[in-house]
Amino acid sequence: MEAVSTGIPTLDSNLVGGLPKGNTVLIYGSPGSGMELFAKQFAQAGAESENVVYITTSERDDDILSTLERYKWSQDVNILNLSTMYYEQILAKQLEISRYRQEGIQLDDIRSFTQNKDEKVNTNFLTILTYGISKLEPPFRVVIDSLDFFLEHYEHEDVIATMRTIKAHTLHTGSVALITMNKGVYSTRTHSSIEGIADCIIELGIKIEEKDLKRYMFIQKLLNYPNRVGVLNYKFTDKGFSATE
Amino acid sequence: MGSESLEASEGIANIDRDKCRTGIDGLDNILNGGIPRGNTVLITGSCGTGKTTMSLEYLVHGASNDEPSLFISVTEDTSKLLNNMIPYEFFDNTLIENGKLVLIDMPVMYKRLGLDKSEFTTEDIDVIVQAIGDIVKELGIKRLVIDSITNVCFQLKTNEKIRDFILQLGKVLSGLGCTSLLVSEISPAEQRYSLYGVEEAIADGIILMSNLERRGDLLRTLQVVKMRGTTHSRSKYVLDMTHIGVLLVPLLKGGGGI
Repeated sequence: MEAVSTGIPTLDSNLVGGLPKGNTVLIYGSPGSGMELFAKQFAQAGAESENVVYITTSERDDDILSTLERYKWSQDVNILNLSTMYYEQILAKQLEISRYRQEGIQLDDIRSFTQNKDEKVNTNFLTILTYGISKLEPPFRVVIDSLDFFLEHYEHEDVIATMRTIKAHTLHTGSVALITMNKGVYSTRTHSSIEGIADCIIELGIKIEEKDLKRYMFIQKLLNYPNRVGVLNYKFTDKGFSATE
Repeated sequence: MGSESLEASEGIANIDRDKCRTGIDGLDNILNGGIPRGNTVLITGSCGTGKTTMSLEYLVHGASNDEPSLFISVTEDTSKLLNNMIPYEFFDNTLIENGKLVLIDMPVMYKRLGLDKSEFTTEDIDVIVQAIGDIVKELGIKRLVIDSITNVCFQLKTNEKIRDFILQLGKVLSGLGCTSLLVSEISPAEQRYSLYGVEEAIADGIILMSNLERRGDLLRTLQVVKMRGTTHSRSKYVLDMTHIGVLLVPLLKGGGGI
């Protein structure tokens, strides 16, 4: 079994020496669990031998790069920033629209708009996502942080169909994909469909035991290795995630 | 006695209301001097009856008489529209250059206002009316054409919303002293003057443009069906589109064997 490192040694040994090639892993997180950091740690682990693309829906490029730098991780990661794209193409326009609706419109506003109307942009972020991945030279390592953005903006069936495409592409090219999402936000049906697509599911959770904060990493599924299901504890060090049995 | 008082009241209306001379040969005679200022008039007809050309001519005459004029195009690109206007002798490009005649694309306005969607809400109607009012106010527009109102109505869906829209629009425009033509598209077999039937009831005037087949010729005709604030002829006129613009002559009924 060929496997690639997740960036967390103890987690690697509890899987099959890493994540099997071709796998799509789903990271379920709750607020404060460090899901975004997990995603970055996973991304940098592939920087040496894989084409890494980090697709973010909530951060700026600088935020990602400075986090990688802070942990002295490789910054050889391509960033596809849907967050910035969303801001520029949708939110900034909405802000502008609200201004026109509130303050009224003038001839110059219409004239200036006519002049740059040739800027035709694709604003279907699901298509942008699939296209971005289709262009990657295998073996690649793709990180999507997070799926919540798509589930909030598109029909769940469409998001799930996109996930299937990404999964199939990842599988047939012997690459790996990691997708983060919040747990317990969507309908059972959506959750089950997404869980069904993922080859590996890891839940990051926090619980308080006698005033002590306990962080746990629950390996909920690993396709064809049900014996690997189990729980690890984790904490944060200057190297990022550090897991213990 | 009833008819006498009616005539008297119409006479008063004629004196009181200032007329907006369309400048279109024959039409001002039919309308007894022009369209009463502030009226919102439906120009209705099927395709190819000359609605757009006549409306543009109306604006050009206004613009050359120092009345700022505005054409809002809903369907056709204004640049394409302008190209079609160049051959006409009445058209003068300096009117565009000095801003007396302004053409704007409604889709651009929609985009600016976040209205590029398939159905408008009541709030959206307020926004559109307000936006048109803003431009009219900003430029001191005295003559306005919306080509076509039917296309705006497509996104309104219900008769209540259409009624609301035209009423609001008419009120704002007339309040600003703007005399407006709303182009309305109907199919040739239509028995009414507007696609939804509500536009015609609200408008201050209706000018019907149709095709008439006579002896193998397809004639364009024009008929003023209704015009508040003025007496007018209700006869059918033949509309000739020449390089100098629209010409109207009475439709000869005798001996033609229509």
